[in-house]
Amino acid sequence: MSPRLRRHERPFPPDEQLPDPPQPAGLVLDARLHLLDRQLDDVEGTPVMTIDDLELETDADGLTTVVHLLSGPVLATRIFGGRPPRDRWHRVAWRHVADVGTVVRLGIRGDGLDVLWVERWLRDHVIGRIPGGRHAPE
Amino acid sequence: MKKIFAVALGVLTAIGGFVDIGDLVTNAVVGARFGMSLVWVVVVGVVGICLFAQMSGRVAAVSGRATFEIIRERLGPRVGGANLVASFLVTVLTLTAEIGGIALALELASSVERRLWIPFAGLAVWLVLWRVKFSVLENVAGLLGLTLVVFAVALFQLGPDWGELVDQAVHPRVVEGEGVPTYWYYAIALFGAAMTPYEVFFFSSGAREEKWTAKDIKQSRVNVVVGFPLGGLLSIAIAGCAAVVFLPRAIDVTSLSQITLPVAMAGGKLLLALVILGIVAATFGAALETALSTGYTLAQYFGWSWGKFHRPAQATRFHTAMLVAVLVGTLVLLTNVDPIAVTEYSVVFSAIALPLTYLPILVVANDREYMGEHVNGRTTNALGLVYLVIIVAASLAAIPLMIATGAGG
Repeated sequence: MSPRLRRHERPFPPDEQLPDPPQPAGLVLDARLHLLDRQLDDVEGTPVMTIDDLELETDADGLTTVVHLLSGPVLATRIFGGRPPRDRWHRVAWRHVADVGTVVRLGIRGDGLDVLWVERWLRDHVIGRIPGGRHAPE
Repeated sequence: MKKIFAVALGVLTAIGGFVDIGDLVTNAVVGARFGMSLVWVVVVGVVGICLFAQMSGRVAAVSGRATFEIIRERLGPRVGGANLVASFLVTVLTLTAEIGGIALALELASSVERRLWIPFAGLAVWLVLWRVKFSVLENVAGLLGLTLVVFAVALFQLGPDWGELVDQAVHPRVVEGEGVPTYWYYAIALFGAAMTPYEVFFFSSGAREEKWTAKDIKQSRVNVVVGFPLGGLLSIAIAGCAAVVFLPRAIDVTSLSQITLPVAMAGGKLLLALVILGIVAATFGAALETALSTGYTLAQYFGWSWGKFHRPAQATRFHTAMLVAVLVGTLVLLTNVDPIAVTEYSVVFSAIALPLTYLPILVVANDREYMGEHVNGRTTNALGLVYLVIIVAASLAAIPLMIATGAGG
């Protein structure tokens, strides 16, 4: 998403006439309202991440599509401006998304996803090593 | 029968869980300096916490979204992030005060230095977070906290001039020798103590922990609407004890032993033992709630897996956050800060951070996408708006008053 624009720097004339938006059949989603900052759960309902940003791609026909949901360092740059290098993006592919509601749900298990590396690292090196860490509370 | 038991248990834990170190200290300090003339603030605060706890519980039950997920979603990463930083710091400050409260109470019981108790208190809090089931920790701490009822018993035993107390409460005026800004500063402190933000984080996340659905709304409403006001009565009894014993003698309350002194005067060793047990339970319970709240807020903002219904290994960032929070609180206390002073600051900073938490709840409680038919009614919204004004006013006035009065001087 572009950083916030200041009022006097509007890149369009104030009386610009916008074309009518396309009205496709089916559910219409607003990326900012329905995707950004929503909770992403995996197929079993375990939280994976909050959607911090989206990776968009424009193909040859000029059609823009969401290809990845992003998390991690992009949150800091979304707040403070700038952009992390592409190799630091933690992506979840849009094709894994099964449902968009008050949460966005994946159709796959979250265990193996790259975005969860901190969770796994802490499990293997800290929490899982403290006695009782792998047992249900009593 | 089972249902009646569940309701009774919920109400009792709500009463016992209402009073924490913030309520204890602030009510005693205020009682000693202003008598009963600030009781109206407790009433306003209790109605407010009922309103918003009930609302956040309903949102969590119906939509399955806990408070901080909603804050992030509605306010975006910037404002939500600022909110996270403020709420998190206030919650860690409150956690520090609660752990200090446990240590002070144990010092009273054992005559062993509080600084020796602090590491044990921190360790005990973490062990319970680590191994004990949510329902058990919530119910046990709440039920033991009920022993604070001895403050009410002590007030009767002290045989005060009831007419005088009631007169102070219904005709509030600034006591001679105290400034008007100081009066209002303590009004905000009492308000912050009654409405601490962590209670809302804990209540809404607790609804998820216990897997509430729309069916449970009614019971949660009973818990809140009956339990919290009775808890508020306990707060008033604490202020009353201090007003009877300390106000005529012009003694300021600066330590936990003074807070328990009226109880000891009224009922001797037995009541004193009970009140210490009650304080340990209340502060321990609140330490658990605040520690959980630090984990809840972080996890919900960043979308981590959270909750006591998971094994620690399935919610590792959540458990790491709580571990660090308890550690930080313990280390801060070991620098020899006075837990009572930490408490006094924590309640005022709670009041400052309040609007950030309550506005998003009010907005989402009106959103049909989340709430369906369970959106707020008109009365709730009207009350919610009135409280929003009060909360914003208290929040804005807090820092100027803190500076003007030298933090209550």
